[in-house]
Amino acid sequence: MRSSTLSPKQERELIATAEGGDEAACRELVELFLPAIRGVARQFGTGGQVEWTELVQEGVAGLLFAARRYDPRRRTPFWAYASFWVRKAMQELVADLTRPAALSDHGVRGLASVKAARRKHVQAKGAEPTTAELAEATGLARPQVDRLLAIDRAPRSFEEPLGGGEGTAGTFGDTVVDPGAESAYDRVLDAMEIEAVRSCAETLDARERAVLSAHYGLSRTPLTLNEIGADLGVTAERIRQIETVALEKLREAVLGPPAAGA
Amino acid sequence: MEAVNSGPRFHHDAFVYESDDDYLGRSVRFLREGLEAGEGAMVANARAGLARMREALGADADRVTFVDTTYTYTHPARALSTYHRAFRDRLRDVPSVRAVADMRTGPRNDAWDEWTGYEALCNVSYAHLPVWVVCTYNANGLPDPILDSVWRTHSKRLGHQHEPNDRFEDPSALLRELTREPEPLTDLRSFSAGPDLESFRERLARELAAEQVPETKALDMLVAGTEIAANAMRHGGGIEEVRAGRAEGRFVCEVIDRGAGFDDPMAGYLVPREGVGAGLWVARQLAWRLEWFDSPAGFTVRTWL
Repeated sequence: MRSSTLSPKQERELIATAEGGDEAACRELVELFLPAIRGVARQFGTGGQVEWTELVQEGVAGLLFAARRYDPRRRTPFWAYASFWVRKAMQELVADLTRPAALSDHGVRGLASVKAARRKHVQAKGAEPTTAELAEATGLARPQVDRLLAIDRAPRSFEEPLGGGEGTAGTFGDTVVDPGAESAYDRVLDAMEIEAVRSCAETLDARERAVLSAHYGLSRTPLTLNEIGADLGVTAERIRQIETVALEKLREAVLGPPAAGA
Repeated sequence: MEAVNSGPRFHHDAFVYESDDDYLGRSVRFLREGLEAGEGAMVANARAGLARMREALGADADRVTFVDTTYTYTHPARALSTYHRAFRDRLRDVPSVRAVADMRTGPRNDAWDEWTGYEALCNVSYAHLPVWVVCTYNANGLPDPILDSVWRTHSKRLGHQHEPNDRFEDPSALLRELTREPEPLTDLRSFSAGPDLESFRERLARELAAEQVPETKALDMLVAGTEIAANAMRHGGGIEEVRAGRAEGRFVCEVIDRGAGFDDPMAGYLVPREGVGAGLWVARQLAWRLEWFDSPAGFTVRTWL
């Protein structure tokens, strides 16, 4: 399936820029592959338990993850690679939301005790216990046991292929005006480990950032240390000191604090 | 359970499970034994896997650290760093840690060799840490080559007990076997590094600007490049030449020095500590890929941004 209108070279450049966390590139990449993501989402029938928007946003997360893991040197077309992660992200969302993960801690513990009692009963007697027997074994009320068992029947397997009618996605364009909404990108990008690296630049104060930016021409014309010093009213040597500290801060941010006892 | 793994050092076992019950039952037992002995406990998995473990642990879940690894496995160097940070943070409060980490396996066309290399690296990168990791793999649908690779990278297997695995291979030799040979890049521009690191950065910055690399990424390249250039100046007899440009859509910088170079496939992958330098670790964290090779011009370190 060819899901992009870019040349292979343009596609590789876009993926590389998106992998680096560039928001505009991420947005462009998502817009290019959104029809394909919607196509994958159409294959899911979630019984109304998962919002269509959530499913597509999870597919977007899978696509951006794939962009970070993808190695273009292997010559696999991007979508042939990324579609696996898009589908997996959606499957995991469905599995997550249809499991009793939304239970309170008390509920989770209750369900665990019901399951343990069931296993014990089956092992001892070779037959499924009744609700009354589970209630007696766990100390829970019968309606509570019934409710927990009902919730536990909802889960779907990670790998279960979920069938769905083509029509289920038909109104997506109407219901999601901007599927690449800011919140989706923020959520996805915030969750990705590269943020730890990206945030390194945030360890610098405004003056340190300004010195590095001016000296090395990041988004502007580069200046000499003398020129920067003249602008800030300090000596070139002072600018060099600020730069040295800033570079060391960036390095330390990558390294992080040492392990205790290690 | 027998005390197979005693002593404060890193242990790396594999557990290939057939069902959720199998995964949950043995993992929970392994973690609870650690908790009872005063160790820390950690579960690393995607969200749905975390929810199942939380449920299976019941009240003990409150004493377990849960690490969401949905987006962790992008590059081996970054995954190593993510886990190291998690171990380091937990070891502030406990003498040792037990962890159950579920590996996210990709499609058949994924760079699986690279992730086999990652598993091999764990044995050496964390060798100094009092951590016992059981890496879990879901056998359902796992291709045979991936399953085989599991036994090449874990010294013990979790069956009914923790059993020695006689198919375990030397991590360094395995990584060398799995590492891709760098391909020559012919379209890079050549320039002189200048007399010092500051000049090197100024010239590298001009190339980054010429390729319109965004500011944050350019800063990453300047920091990574500084580490590599400093190595070349200190240990490589000085910089002979620098090359930069684009390849495969990425900014690439090659630093060629006048020395004999090095030939350690694990360089830059080992968590910095006494006796292990930090320079190439920093460069690997900031770069997309790092490669090195001998070329007619001299020993070359290539950084892919």
